[in-house]
Amino acid sequence: MPAVSVRDLRKTFQLKQKAAGLRGSLRALWRPSFQELDAVRGISFNMDEGELLGFIGPNGAGKSTTIKILTGILHPSSGEAEVLGRVPWRQRQELAFQIGSVFGQRPQLWYHLPAVDTFYLFGKIYELDDRKLKGRIAFLAEAFEIEELLETPVRKLSLGQRMRCEVAASLLHRPRVLLLDEPSIGLDVVAKQRLRMTIQRMNDLEGVGVLLTSHDAGDIEALCRRVIIINDGEIVYRDKVSALRRRYLTVKTVDVRYNEQLPPDFALPGVEMVKVGRYGAKMRFDTRVTPVGPVIGGLAAAGSLADVTVSEPSLEEVIGAIYGQAESKDG
Amino acid sequence: MGRQIAFVLALWKTNLLSAMEYRVSFLTQMAGMMLNNAIYFVFWIIFFARFEEVNGWDLVDMLFLFGVVATGFGVGTYLFGNAVRLSLLIASGQMDYYLSLPRPVLLHALASRSNASSAGDCAYGLLSFGAAVYFAGAFDILMLLRFGLGCLAAVTVLISFLVLVQSLTFWIGNTNLLTSNAFNAIVTFSLYPITLFDGTAKLLLFTLIPAAFIGALPAEFVRRFDLAQLAQICAGSAIFLFLATFVFYRGLRRYESGSAIQVRT
Repeated sequence: MPAVSVRDLRKTFQLKQKAAGLRGSLRALWRPSFQELDAVRGISFNMDEGELLGFIGPNGAGKSTTIKILTGILHPSSGEAEVLGRVPWRQRQELAFQIGSVFGQRPQLWYHLPAVDTFYLFGKIYELDDRKLKGRIAFLAEAFEIEELLETPVRKLSLGQRMRCEVAASLLHRPRVLLLDEPSIGLDVVAKQRLRMTIQRMNDLEGVGVLLTSHDAGDIEALCRRVIIINDGEIVYRDKVSALRRRYLTVKTVDVRYNEQLPPDFALPGVEMVKVGRYGAKMRFDTRVTPVGPVIGGLAAAGSLADVTVSEPSLEEVIGAIYGQAESKDG
Repeated sequence: MGRQIAFVLALWKTNLLSAMEYRVSFLTQMAGMMLNNAIYFVFWIIFFARFEEVNGWDLVDMLFLFGVVATGFGVGTYLFGNAVRLSLLIASGQMDYYLSLPRPVLLHALASRSNASSAGDCAYGLLSFGAAVYFAGAFDILMLLRFGLGCLAAVTVLISFLVLVQSLTFWIGNTNLLTSNAFNAIVTFSLYPITLFDGTAKLLLFTLIPAAFIGALPAEFVRRFDLAQLAQICAGSAIFLFLATFVFYRGLRRYESGSAIQVRT
């Protein structure tokens, strides 16, 4: 049985519409008009126990709404969902003992108190035995490298330190599934890497399944084997991260420099010239259309090579391309 | 039940720890509220210096009334500090936090905050009750029990009323102004002798603005035992508690969350 199972899930919000200015406000007061916004449009997916599943998409794609339905915060408009065999919006309290959640924009640690005080409060909320709770705090403090931070008021922690404490707090009750909504939002590169390492470590040590939403492709690349891409409330891609790279990394960019001047009309068959300078050029080609061999051969034949760099698009660019495809289909 | 009590006690302890982070602010707000209440009572001292009683109520009755109301407001808004911020929590999507944890949402939300100034109300209420007992010249342990019960009823009806008004946020959106007006109305009307009102006005004080259950009724009951009043107090508290819980949870189904950046204080 999958840890998370979602079938044709939909969520529609009613948004009040108002024209700009005083006249618009008065009209809205007298005759309010509403527009329906389909935040989630019939998505279906499964997540296995212990899996690290990436759930990515741009702002407003429906990621957070889906996570909120799966934690029981929101009721869906239609469709089915089960987390660990429970329907979240009907068995919210029962389910909350089995799952943990962290929302990057909604801290759960008490701002003016040291994190350890919130940890003890969570011990009561999750009905943990005092002795076991102490042991669990010690274990998580070591795993997340937060021993030195536990007694510092949360308001004095850096964002990265705070987020590690947040994730540690969500693991106090040994949840089987962790729902992380944008945990790396606002973090610098180093803090992101530390957070990713700790999430990976807890997955290795305790087998906790993680559904991770992010609009940072780096989070997904570093942690997840499988990814679901959502755009405008619909799933536009689902597969292994490695397959995503293979499928979309066929476009190569080549930067080439020569020891002698290039002719101004320098060109190669099947290759798009992005920029041609006096001693170098930048070009792009798709390996499915133009094989690599003739391109490299053509570059070598064009003159005395000083340097060649062949690069692939980043995962960010790949995902951007997928969003673009989805939008052009809609258009 | 025992687990819920342990949980609420842990919440109150955490609130206290949070308040103690700013000791001077806590003490200043507490003293300020005591002074505020004392100044308000001076009006009644001046009034009763000229008139011995008003419709059967004298200064000692007013001391009992202020004792119950101030203690009820103090205890209620100290232990359930979010009762005055519930509409904000609903409208800004801050209920997400309570919904993601395995506890009753309403109880968890209400008890997650303490107002420092409420401790001043509470202290003032106890002083007023002490003064009432002194001037009445009659005290027994049963009066103390009646005072405890009267304050409990005041807390229950006050918090239930605030929850009811602010639960409207689920249907009509922002209710900040309505909440503020409702709060001022219930404070104001609970601090007058009930005998000043009759007919429709009196009916309103037992229904739409249930100030009678917070002030006059428990205050009279504290001064002298009356079985009918005890029944009224218990029934009123139970009805308002049921209504508040029912309406809140019906509204919660319409909750739409939000994406504002939040801080837990």
